[in-house]
Amino acid sequence: MNASYLRYAGRRLVQAVVVVLLAYVFTFVVISVLPGDPVTNTLRNPENGFTEEEIARIVSYYGLDQPIAVQLWQSLSHFLVGDLGVSLRSNLPVTRLVAEVVPSTLALAASALAVALVLAFAIAYGTQNLPRRYGQGVLRAFPSLFLSVPAFVVGLLLIQVFAFQLGLFSVIEPDSAWATFFAAVALGIPVSAQVAEVLITGLDHESRQEYAAVARSRGLGQARLFAKHLLKPSSLPVVTVVALTVGELLGGALIIETIFGRTGIGSLVQRSVSTQDLPVLQAVVSLAAVVFVVVNLLADLVYPLLDPRVRTEPASASGKAGLGEAPEQPILERQVSVP
Amino acid sequence: MTTTHAGRWAGRTRRAIQAAVGALATVTLAAACAAGGPASSGGGTGEPHDGGDITFLIDSLGDTWIPNNSSISSFQGHIWGHVADKLVYVDEVGEVSPWIAESWEQDDDATEFTLHLKNGVTFSDGSPLDADAVVKNLDTWAFGAPDAGISPIGLFPKTYDHAEAVDDTTVKVHFDAPTLGFVPTLGYHGSILISPKALALPAEEQADLSNDIGSGPFVVESWKEGDSVVLKKRADYDWGPEAVGHTGPAYLDTITYKLVAESSTRTGAVRSGQADVAYNATPQELDSFKDQGFVVAVPRYLGFVNGYRLNTRVAPFDDALVRQAFQHGIDRDEILSTVYTDDWSPAESLIQSNVPEATDHSDSFAYDPELAASLLDDAGWTEGADGVRTKDGKKLELTLYPNPYLATSKAIDELVAQQLGELGFDVDIQAYDVVTFGERVSDNTSLSNYEVTRSFIDVGTVASILTDAENGEDWFGLGESDPRTNKLRDAVAQATDLDERAKSVDELQEHLLDQAYFAPVTQIVQRIYVQNPELHDVTYNGVAYASYYTAWLED
Repeated sequence: MNASYLRYAGRRLVQAVVVVLLAYVFTFVVISVLPGDPVTNTLRNPENGFTEEEIARIVSYYGLDQPIAVQLWQSLSHFLVGDLGVSLRSNLPVTRLVAEVVPSTLALAASALAVALVLAFAIAYGTQNLPRRYGQGVLRAFPSLFLSVPAFVVGLLLIQVFAFQLGLFSVIEPDSAWATFFAAVALGIPVSAQVAEVLITGLDHESRQEYAAVARSRGLGQARLFAKHLLKPSSLPVVTVVALTVGELLGGALIIETIFGRTGIGSLVQRSVSTQDLPVLQAVVSLAAVVFVVVNLLADLVYPLLDPRVRTEPASASGKAGLGEAPEQPILERQVSVP
Repeated sequence: MTTTHAGRWAGRTRRAIQAAVGALATVTLAAACAAGGPASSGGGTGEPHDGGDITFLIDSLGDTWIPNNSSISSFQGHIWGHVADKLVYVDEVGEVSPWIAESWEQDDDATEFTLHLKNGVTFSDGSPLDADAVVKNLDTWAFGAPDAGISPIGLFPKTYDHAEAVDDTTVKVHFDAPTLGFVPTLGYHGSILISPKALALPAEEQADLSNDIGSGPFVVESWKEGDSVVLKKRADYDWGPEAVGHTGPAYLDTITYKLVAESSTRTGAVRSGQADVAYNATPQELDSFKDQGFVVAVPRYLGFVNGYRLNTRVAPFDDALVRQAFQHGIDRDEILSTVYTDDWSPAESLIQSNVPEATDHSDSFAYDPELAASLLDDAGWTEGADGVRTKDGKKLELTLYPNPYLATSKAIDELVAQQLGELGFDVDIQAYDVVTFGERVSDNTSLSNYEVTRSFIDVGTVASILTDAENGEDWFGLGESDPRTNKLRDAVAQATDLDERAKSVDELQEHLLDQAYFAPVTQIVQRIYVQNPELHDVTYNGVAYASYYTAWLED
C-alpha cells in the first residue's frame, strides 16, 4: 500500500502542477485578449493630458507593447522560478500583495468552514433526535432556505443588526474576532446547507439499516445511536462535499470581504479584475488552483481512514493481479452512497 | 468578438450585483432610519483643542502610490493633502495664496517666475525643503521618468522649460511661452512636494507609501494596500497656508483612512458612531442625514460643469440649430429636483461658478421647449407620426453615454432622453463601465457627444483642452473651422495679464455657448462628505478635498 500510495501521490503531484500551469496560462490569455490594460487605462484618463509619446514610453517600460506570446513567455519563465512579478496597478511586488491578504482570507474561510460544519451537524442531529412532529420538518427545510438566501443579504443584515444596532463589532476593525465571526456566519450558511443535506440523507439511510434496528432493539437511546453508530458512516460524503466547497468559500469570500470591508484575497481579486492587473490575477488563480488540488488530495487521503471498505487498490479484474503482482494503477475510490 | 462579449457580460453582471446590493442597502437604511438615529447631534461647540482620532471611510484607495502617478487620483488626493504640502494654496473660490512659497513674481510676458520659499521648512525625513528640492519636484512634475515607469503629472504646463535654484530659498522657473496658469497649477492636487530622496527611488519603492516622504502636517504611521492608511500628526509642523487660519501642528492626533467599498456600510458606520466621515454618499441619503443632525458637506471643485460637449463633425450636431435645440430642450430644474438635493445648483456657464473667471451665461441655454421645437422646425426636421422628427428620410437620432466617473450620470441621461424625446429626438442610452467607457467613448471622435466631468485649477488650461492646439483635445471637433474660437483660445492661453485674460474668458464662454458647442446641465459636486457633527472646522480647498489640518474634535 505504501509503494502504491507514493506512486499515486507522485502522479497526483504532476497532475497538480499541470493544472496550476494551465490555470496560469489560461488566466493570462483570457485577461490579455480583453481590451485595455491598467497602465494605458490610467494614462488615457483625460485628466492626465499625456501625449502619445509619453504614453508609449511608459507602456514600453512595463513591456506591454510586446506581442502577447512574448509577454506570456516572460511571465511564465519568471513564474517557474518563483518570481511573481510586480502589480501593474499598485507597482508593488505581487508576493507582498498576496502575502498581506492570505491570513485574513484564511481566517475567514476556516471560521466559515467551522461555522458551516457546526451548523450542519446541529441541523442533522436535530432531524434525527427532535420529536418528529415539531422540530424535524422545520429543520429539514433549513438547508434549502440557507441555499436560497444570498450571502450578501445575510451579510448586510448581520452588519445592520450586530454592528450598527447592537454595537457588537465595528466595521472599522473587520479583522476583530466578532467581525470575523459574523463574516464567517454569512459565508458559512450556504456552505452548511450543502453539508447538512448530504449528512441528513446519509443519516436517514443509515438509520434504516439493520444494524441500527438491532442497536435500537438492544435499548440504545437515539442520542447514543447517533453518536456511536450513525454519524461516522454518514460523514463519508461530507468529506467530499467539504473539499468541493473550498471553491465556494474562496468565491464567496469575494462578496463577503467586500461587504465587511475585509482586505483578503477576495477584495484583492476584485480590485485586480476591475483594473485588469494581470500579474496579481495570475498569482491568485495559481494559488487557488494549488489550494483546490491540495484540498481534494487531502480528501482522498482521509477517505479510507473513515471507511476501511474504501479500496486503495483496484479490484483484481485483470489477470495480472491474479498472478500476485502489484496492480499497475492504484485507484482511490470514493464510494459516495446516495440512496 | 468574444472579448467584446466577455467585457460586456462582466460589466452587466457587475452592474446587476451593484443594483441588487444598492436596492438592499436602501431597505436596510430605511430600517435604520426607522430605528432611530445617533445619540445626539451635540449642542455646544467649545474651543479648538489638541487630541483626538478620526476615521474616514472611503470607497477606494486608488491604485499605485508613486507620487507622480497617483497625486491626481480623487481618492489618494485625500492622503496626499495631509502628508505633503504645496507651493501655493488655492481655496474653494480659486483664490491663490502663499504656502511653501511665501511670495512670487513674474516677468511681463509671463515666461519667467521667481518663487520665494519659506525658511526652515523640512520634510519628515529631516531633509530641507529648499530651492534645490523644489527644482527637483518641478522637473519631476513636468517630465516624470517615463523610462522608469513614472509619468509626468497631468495638466502641468507643457510650456515648462527648466527651473534653477538661485539661492536656498529662491527658485527661478522658465517657460518657452506665456504661462499665466503656472502659479495656480502649483496648488493643484498633482503638485505635491516630495523629498528628493524619495523621488530618486525606483518605481517599485516609490509605490510603497511609507517611502514617500512629504513635509505635510501628518506623516504615514502605517498603511496596508487596498485596506487603510493611518496618519499621525507631525509635532514640529509650522508652515501651513495662512489662508486656512491656523498655524502650528494639527489638532488631531491621527486620521485613519479605511477602505469600505460598500456605500451603505460607510454611511451606516457614521450613523452608528463607528466612524467620523463617510465619503461619497448618494445624494438621496443626504437629507435624512441632515435631519438627524449630521454634517453634510458638498464642496464644489473648480472646473467644468457637468454637461455635454457636442461634436460639430457628427450628425445631428453638425447643424448649429440642432445643437441649440438640444441646449434649450434640457430642463435643468427637473434634473436638479429629481436626481439631486438643494445642495446642487444649475449650471450658469460651461465652467463652475466658483471659478474666478466664470460669468453667468445661463440665458443663452435656458430651458425653452417652444424655442427648441421651432429651431428644429427651422432646421428642417419635421415630426413624424411616431413623434420622432425626420429630415430627408433620416431620423433625428442620438446616443448618450453616461459618464461612469459620475454616479448620477445615468439618471440624468434618462431624464434628458425623456425631455428631448418630447421634442422629437430619438435618444438611446448606452451605459458602460469605466474600462469599456475608456475604450469606446473617451477618445472616440465619431460620437456626437460626450458627457463632461472635469476639474481644473486654472482657467488658462481650458483653452488648450477645447481646441486642437498644443495636443489639445479638440472637444467640439472644430479644428480650424471656427476662427473666432481659436482667436479667443490664443487670447486666453497667451495672456500675460489676469484682467485681460478674464475678459477673453468671458467672451470665450459667450461664444461657445451661443454656438451651442456645449450644453451645460448642473454644477458638479463630485465629493460628498457625511460627517460626525462633533468634528469642527474642516476646510475644503479648490479641488474640494477635505483637510483635517484645521479640524478638531469636541469632547
